[in-house]
Amino acid sequence: MSEVNNKKLRTKDLIYAGAFGALYIVLMLILVMSSGMVPILYILAPITVGVFCGTVYELCVLKVRKFGPALIMGLLFALVACNGAWYCFVTATACALLAELIIFLGKYKSKFMYLLSFVVFNINMSCPYMIMTFNRDGFMTRARDYYGEEYANGLSKLMTPWIWYALVGFAIIGGILGALIASKLIKKHFTKAGIV
Amino acid sequence: MDFDICVDDSGAILKLDPRTKLVMFLTSSVASLTCYSMENLLIYGIVLCVITILCGKKWLGVKSLLIFLFLIFFRYEIVTSGKGSAAIGGLLTSLITIFLFFFPVFMSLMLITQTTRINQFLAAFDAMHMPNIVVIPIAVMFRFIPTVAQEWDGIRKAMAFRGISLEPWAIIRSPLKTIEYILIPLLFSSISIMEELAAAALARGLDSGNNRTSYETVKFRAVDYLVTFMFIGLAAFFIIGRKGL
Repeated sequence: MSEVNNKKLRTKDLIYAGAFGALYIVLMLILVMSSGMVPILYILAPITVGVFCGTVYELCVLKVRKFGPALIMGLLFALVACNGAWYCFVTATACALLAELIIFLGKYKSKFMYLLSFVVFNINMSCPYMIMTFNRDGFMTRARDYYGEEYANGLSKLMTPWIWYALVGFAIIGGILGALIASKLIKKHFTKAGIV
Repeated sequence: MDFDICVDDSGAILKLDPRTKLVMFLTSSVASLTCYSMENLLIYGIVLCVITILCGKKWLGVKSLLIFLFLIFFRYEIVTSGKGSAAIGGLLTSLITIFLFFFPVFMSLMLITQTTRINQFLAAFDAMHMPNIVVIPIAVMFRFIPTVAQEWDGIRKAMAFRGISLEPWAIIRSPLKTIEYILIPLLFSSISIMEELAAAALARGLDSGNNRTSYETVKFRAVDYLVTFMFIGLAAFFIIGRKGL
């Protein structure tokens, strides 16, 4: 569908990146909102989102096979989910950039590098939670205001200050699972149909 | 939550520039992440609903406003009355609060997707001489969100038709199967829509490199400045309020 030697992004690729970005964001919002009522599931969101959205991401980068789609998706994600604080935005963008770099190192051919790039990309799921570590007091006040005393207590038990590092771990686990599922599903369905 | 791809804004009293709506969307997500008090959220939600009504989506605006006000009232009642069991009260409050917390983001997203045509979007950003690489993904994303919602609706119906349940228990029992059942049709239909969208856009010369003309006249008018400053002001107020000045 798209040639590897033509490096520049064309309009068509931009349309793919935007549309897959929309898919990614809608799925993510549905997952986070429907699982957000239970504190433990809220913390585990990096895993659930990774498992679900891995396929969307892989399909996007495999379809375009140029420098850019992962970065665009990362930026769209940051635009919608991480604009609470500048360090969230920067980290999310950095993850996407790193994912691009990994794909580049695989010369846009290596399947393993494509899968690995999602593991890095998925770390951006932990970025919205950075506020919890870096602005913990503010977050707790709001949680108490918003969700009531019990929910906040439940959260604060889970939210030891090092929680963000655990969340990065979750995001990596989610990324690995998502990449595995994606590779299985893409092999089963999309390669046969000639889409990637 | 019914989305419509063919946007009709003929009934609008207030015709806002797409860029203003984008600013509103950004400040809304800042607001829902930094807003600490219910009073501030109440003001913000009401302003957002009123603007939606003025933009021509009367029914949507009134409906959302009523739901929003009712939930805030309901939550207030639960919190202040102190009657009933604490567990159920707590669960209800947290459920309602999550909804309220997402309300500004949701509402401004609806405002963008329901009152802006994709060509208005493109024309507005072209007027700012933004490069294609920035404009097209953002425009396509907002165009595509309603499509995903529609496709999802169709897939759910098709699943029900074949007797595949979407109950939580069924999802827990076989999560991988569920992912496959939902994702594969969604991706397949989305990809074919993307291809059609790309073909249509290319046929209209989106990648020709020449300056494109547009039927839409987009201009940043006084109202736009007013609304933009109002929303930036509200967001700034929330942020300053958080710091406790």
